[in-house]
Amino acid sequence: MATYQYFIDYFNEAPSLIKLAWVTICILFTAIVILTIYLKLIRTALRKKNTESAKFKAEYEATLIEYLYSGSENGDINDLQIATIEKLKTSVHIKSKRKIIISILYNLMNEVSGEMSDSIKTLYFKTGLYNYALSRLENKNWYIIAKGIGELTRFKIEEAHDLVVPFIKHPRHEVRKETQLYMVNMFRFNGLTFLNDLKEPLSEWAQVQLLETLQKFDDQQICDIKPWLKSTNNSVVLFALKLAKIYNQFETKDTLMELLSHPIKEIRVKVIRVLTNLYGIEAKEMLKANFNELSLEEQISFFGLLEKLVVPSDEPFIEKHLFHKNFEIQLLALKILKSINLDKFMGLSKSPKNKSNKKILKFVTNI
Amino acid sequence: MSKNKIVLAEDNSTLSLLLKFRLEKEGYDLFIAKDGREAIDLIEKETPDLILTDIMMPFVSGLEVISHLRLKLDLDTPIIVFSSAGQEEMVIKAFNLGANDFMGKPFSPNELIIRVKRLLN
Repeated sequence: MATYQYFIDYFNEAPSLIKLAWVTICILFTAIVILTIYLKLIRTALRKKNTESAKFKAEYEATLIEYLYSGSENGDINDLQIATIEKLKTSVHIKSKRKIIISILYNLMNEVSGEMSDSIKTLYFKTGLYNYALSRLENKNWYIIAKGIGELTRFKIEEAHDLVVPFIKHPRHEVRKETQLYMVNMFRFNGLTFLNDLKEPLSEWAQVQLLETLQKFDDQQICDIKPWLKSTNNSVVLFALKLAKIYNQFETKDTLMELLSHPIKEIRVKVIRVLTNLYGIEAKEMLKANFNELSLEEQISFFGLLEKLVVPSDEPFIEKHLFHKNFEIQLLALKILKSINLDKFMGLSKSPKNKSNKKILKFVTNI
Repeated sequence: MSKNKIVLAEDNSTLSLLLKFRLEKEGYDLFIAKDGREAIDLIEKETPDLILTDIMMPFVSGLEVISHLRLKLDLDTPIIVFSSAGQEEMVIKAFNLGANDFMGKPFSPNELIIRVKRLLN
């Protein structure tokens, strides 16, 4: 009792600053104790949740394997499978369990093909998971919709086509991208029809994802890409140019030629690359003939391609542009000349006429 | 007659369980490892007749498992490698290290059984 009184007296007699320090210490100490207990409770709850998840996962994995191997050869669902479906049906109503079931099904769907994959898809429908994915499409939050479409894509649910298609014009690009990926994953090149009337820009990342998806398929029979090359949406034109190059669309030559006069410089430069890739020498001659009508970027791009496709007969053309006003063209022309006629290039280096270009000539000589 | 032993190194527990069920039904003794490190321990302990290994695994990769088996343990146990899309270079490395066969994911378990039987016979 006397000890407590001593502390109270000490506190009352202490200066205000010391009092404040003691009060702060007490508050912080209490906060630390409360937070430590809170942390401990959270950790315990998380551990419990993880243990339960692991338990459910092990249980559902075994149930799923049992379902997959108890099927009859003619594909009919037997009593054991019906019992499994009913068991899973009761669990999918609980969000945490539903998440576990979806992750198990998806993990396996990625790893196995053929009949097993079809059985997993059937299970996805029969357990009601399909309806949950569809209900996500009706959610007012864009990220829930995007997740729903992503799930339908992963489980290859073609049946949801009519319900997913309207999202192709969704104001959020994340939802549009998921819808585009759904279309291409389900219907391959036919799924690209959304490009016909796409008004919003198709981002570079979305283009890469679409191309990656298309390359996964064995059937590489591409549809007619000419309408996309003529699109008023520049990103669609750029994407179609990538398709033309990757899938060697030789029949698009005339459309590509028309694109050489496209108002967007980036498109014109890309067209030159595609033309050279598809038609090689033929395209080179054509672009050489129209060289003076090309913009500077296009001329640089053309010289870049000429470097790869040059033949000795191009020498007069190269010579004409040896000391072009643009440095990049000048450098490329000198490099090309060196590669096709070393004697002439060395002659240039030694000529007193070219004193002003001494540095660039020396640089190209040393390459 | 004793059963042929197979070590399966695969980090996807559902796939491991599915293959265990299928291979045991075919009469093989299956030992599952959930990563490369466990696979090496099992191989050294059980000396299996065949090894099935995924390429990408935690701690020790499938390539390291093959390398350990062929170079350190100097065993010629047949190895089937599982690979995913985009791991073509890894598959070539696996063959260079001494893998006997490979299967790209997703694969059919029935096809795997045919390949296992072919290698064990």
